[in-house]
Amino acid sequence: MVTKTVDSYHFDKLEETIAKLNEEDCTIIAGGTDVMVLHKSRRGVAPKIAGPVVFIDHLSELKQTYLAEGNLHIGACCTYGEMLEHSLIPSVFKKAIREVAAPAIRNRGTIGGNICNASPAGDMLPLLYIFNAKLVLRSFLGDRIVEIHDFIQGPRRIARQQNELLVEVILPDVVDEESTYLVFEKIANRQADAISKVSFAGLLQVKDGKVADARFAFGAVGPTMVRSLEIEKKLLAKGYPLRAEVLEEVVADFSSVINPIDDQRSTAYYRETVALKLLRYFLTSKELS
Amino acid sequence: MIKFKLNGSVVETDALSTVRLLDLLREEFDLIGSKEGCGEGECGACSVLVNNLVQNSCLIPIGALEGAEVQTIEGYSQTPQYQVLNECYATSGGVQCGFCTPGMIIATEALLSKNPNPTEEEIREGISGNLCRCTGYNMIVDAIQLAVKKGDGLW
Repeated sequence: MVTKTVDSYHFDKLEETIAKLNEEDCTIIAGGTDVMVLHKSRRGVAPKIAGPVVFIDHLSELKQTYLAEGNLHIGACCTYGEMLEHSLIPSVFKKAIREVAAPAIRNRGTIGGNICNASPAGDMLPLLYIFNAKLVLRSFLGDRIVEIHDFIQGPRRIARQQNELLVEVILPDVVDEESTYLVFEKIANRQADAISKVSFAGLLQVKDGKVADARFAFGAVGPTMVRSLEIEKKLLAKGYPLRAEVLEEVVADFSSVINPIDDQRSTAYYRETVALKLLRYFLTSKELS
Repeated sequence: MIKFKLNGSVVETDALSTVRLLDLLREEFDLIGSKEGCGEGECGACSVLVNNLVQNSCLIPIGALEGAEVQTIEGYSQTPQYQVLNECYATSGGVQCGFCTPGMIIATEALLSKNPNPTEEEIREGISGNLCRCTGYNMIVDAIQLAVKKGDGLW
């Protein structure tokens, strides 16, 4: 059917996989839902992937989810479907996952793949940003921990060295979902299997009528997720419900930091309008009053 | 050599590991029930069961299947569950041009094997990855609701 051109590796152990990455630059395939589309050829012809391929989604070491010292560790090869069924995964993530793709893709797509694909519209990314996710990159030298916003550098650009593998996602200090208002919104053409035009994740904690914590991240309105600690800080200790001038200032601040583009899915104008409306809607939520 | 289970039998192939499962099924094994619609995981026409989970065969590089169990519509059609779905899809008018049907049936099996008594909303979510341009979906939802009644105890 096809002529062999690509070497591939399918090791039984994570250790062997990491040793191979130290020898050769490989295309890493977890679920394959992005890489198979990215390199798609015509019908009947294998995707054109240059160089060797290493399969990782069968490695049980990459599928563990557990709590350690108050931090939630999620194995990089946990699929959306597995996260949906795991009791430790925060419910806002589960709500988001139900808006991601459809059952068939949720059974293949992995959280690590979504991060390493580094799409400006990556579905898990806005929530991972507001949860201050850290990533564990393993090489033969050991582990290196990177903040997600430092790891993702641009569309399909990540700070992974050739010999490193993303093995775990850590959510530090998992917030108490009872006392925290958490939201994920995805705007797309179709509920299932669609790529976002705009996405938004928000977190708000109010104590004694004052904002105790506020975090927001927007997807698909810039080359990477847009989050601004500076703007978030301005909201701390402000009375809630927010006064009109405080709300207007935050919305105006965000309007200057988001910088969407026109593409086949949407226009810059639509994206900015909707992103700011999502922010406004979130900040005036009745749920917290 | 990649070795996995296909419709109950162990098979081996020396095709390239990045070949899509869909192409392998259709071209090497002559299993042409799985269709290629979009080739990007958006239409569900190529759906198969891998380790009993519905997946898009157009997105699976066969190298990832080492040791896995794959069931296509051809294998599934030998089961009593299929007989019920076949009858209910026919009765309800859930098949028109038929292109989406194999994938739709596989998605239905994946749904019912996990949730034998789905609500209408759960049915629609279960088939949300499968596009049908003929029926408008209502007749497919009717077929699945009918199968829930008729197949009582099967799932």
